[in-house]
Amino acid sequence: MHFGTLIVKNLLRRPVRSLLTATGVALAVGAVVALLGVARGFEDSLLQVLQVHDVDIVVTRAGKTDRMTSVLDERWGQLLAGLPGVEAVTGALMDVVDFRDANLIGVFIQGWPSDSFLFDQLPLRSGRRLHPGDRQCVLLGAKLAEILQKTAGDTVQIEMHPFRVVGVYESYSLYENRSAIMPLEDFQRLMDRQGQVMAFHVKVSSGPVKAAAVETVCRHIENLSDQQGRRLPLEARPAYDYVKSTLQIRQVQAMAWVTSVIALVIGAVGMLNTMIMSVFERTHEIGILRAIGWRKGRIVRMILGESLLLCLAGATLGTLAAVAGVYWLSGLPVVAGLVQGKISPVVIGQGYAIAVLVGLAGGLYPACRGARLSPTEAIRHE
Amino acid sequence: MSDADALFRTVNLTKVYSDGSVNALVDANVLILQGQYVAVMGPSGSGKSTLLNLLGALDRPTSGEVFFQGQPLSAMRDLDHFRARQLGFVFQSFYLLPTLTAAENVQIPMFEIGIRAAERARRAAELLELVGLSHRAGHLPRQLSVGERQRVAIARALANRPIVLLADEPTGNLDSHNAAQVLELFDRLHRQQQMTVVVVTHSPEVASRAQRIIRLRDGKVIDDAPSFSTC
Repeated sequence: MHFGTLIVKNLLRRPVRSLLTATGVALAVGAVVALLGVARGFEDSLLQVLQVHDVDIVVTRAGKTDRMTSVLDERWGQLLAGLPGVEAVTGALMDVVDFRDANLIGVFIQGWPSDSFLFDQLPLRSGRRLHPGDRQCVLLGAKLAEILQKTAGDTVQIEMHPFRVVGVYESYSLYENRSAIMPLEDFQRLMDRQGQVMAFHVKVSSGPVKAAAVETVCRHIENLSDQQGRRLPLEARPAYDYVKSTLQIRQVQAMAWVTSVIALVIGAVGMLNTMIMSVFERTHEIGILRAIGWRKGRIVRMILGESLLLCLAGATLGTLAAVAGVYWLSGLPVVAGLVQGKISPVVIGQGYAIAVLVGLAGGLYPACRGARLSPTEAIRHE
Repeated sequence: MSDADALFRTVNLTKVYSDGSVNALVDANVLILQGQYVAVMGPSGSGKSTLLNLLGALDRPTSGEVFFQGQPLSAMRDLDHFRARQLGFVFQSFYLLPTLTAAENVQIPMFEIGIRAAERARRAAELLELVGLSHRAGHLPRQLSVGERQRVAIARALANRPIVLLADEPTGNLDSHNAAQVLELFDRLHRQQQMTVVVVTHSPEVASRAQRIIRLRDGKVIDDAPSFSTC
């Protein structure tokens, strides 16, 4: 018999209690994995958009916590394009609209100049890309087109204005597939933000050390001045940093963590209760084990082992439930394209790491309490 | 009796329980030689189990000392190791782990002496054969008779090849047939393996199997004499 066999058999002694405790942990870990998975998926998707389009740097207004409210003068793009190391620059405007008829909320609309380098990596499924001079036109992402049941040649209402669908694109990014792209001028007029962009996307020339080149260009951008010598209010961040520091992503992650911590505390208290009960019930038995020579450390290992095994079983159940739940959620039209159907292995790893912490937190006190029992007192215990 | 052959020697051993009202053992001086079969007798509350617990390092004396092979137990750094290696315990209520088979219960003490799983299983099979329970190795305690359970507990006590067996009322829960089997087993261990056996009992019949009988009353040793059956 292995030591692990003893641990498993101890848990099977009270199968219903073990199952309920593991279920409590499963709920906690499942909540963590699902919430963090969705948050992480959102972040990955946004990063993927920038990576797919070869965007190295995103420039927004300095001091703005919420980049959606960033306002930049469209003409500053020419200053950026003239900096050494910059290969291409494009201004972009973005906002979120609803398509209430299709029960669709939070759809991202982007305004790009028709000659933007961002179009280079936007494979079309049907129709054509935007041409210079196009007005009241829009390109729909494949998922959005599917939900709206629109194709090239159809008309779609955006903010109560008709737009002709000239093409449908299929991006590598789930997030982009649920968005729409229209000429920058149209979008500026629609949003009443003529001459403004929200951000500049910058592509840095390929060099031997891209990361260093990106850092250098960022510094140059932040040091740019206008003709009067006043420093422009620009904040330049490498794409990864930009995504990481996006307010909406930070908010989603903070909410995910807060909810997760509450779930975990409940899970740990449940585990603590179970293990204290288990030790109390086995006081006699622990006394015998101590009498026949088991060291305190082995008693601790046995009880902690039981606690950890319960947590790992719960984590497995919870992870499976979270993966299935998020996959199911991603198929719902109302969130389709916002929630990725898969959960990153990193998040699953975090779920298991947290389960181990719950196991240690819930098992350590009962384990120490069990190990401290005097053999004679424990044997006399009734 | 010579001190050189002493397995256990107690010097003015006293145990007062924590509330201070019960003198469980008072100035007990006992010498147990290697290979002896000793019974400890006395009425309830006379200090028999307290003496056994102190000899087995399960409890600490209030004053006095227990010497094992000349070494004071109070100076031993690792009493768990001492119990695991040198002593085998048999209790009145067996205390087998209910979810483990007979063979698995016998292996429990072996975890502390660092032997491999295959060796643990082999040794458990040998011990169950010694106590006549090879055919019950895969049974759970609830599937065994009380006599069989006590024999599994004895096999467990022998798991780490101890040099002394400490038994607290080992036949207290057994009928006469099963009690006779257990006592026969103790006799064999003593005769064939020269094992030191210390049995706490209130039964004259059990005590009569021993070479010596130590009698206690009110925590004091009142008599220490050879058993009639060996005189």
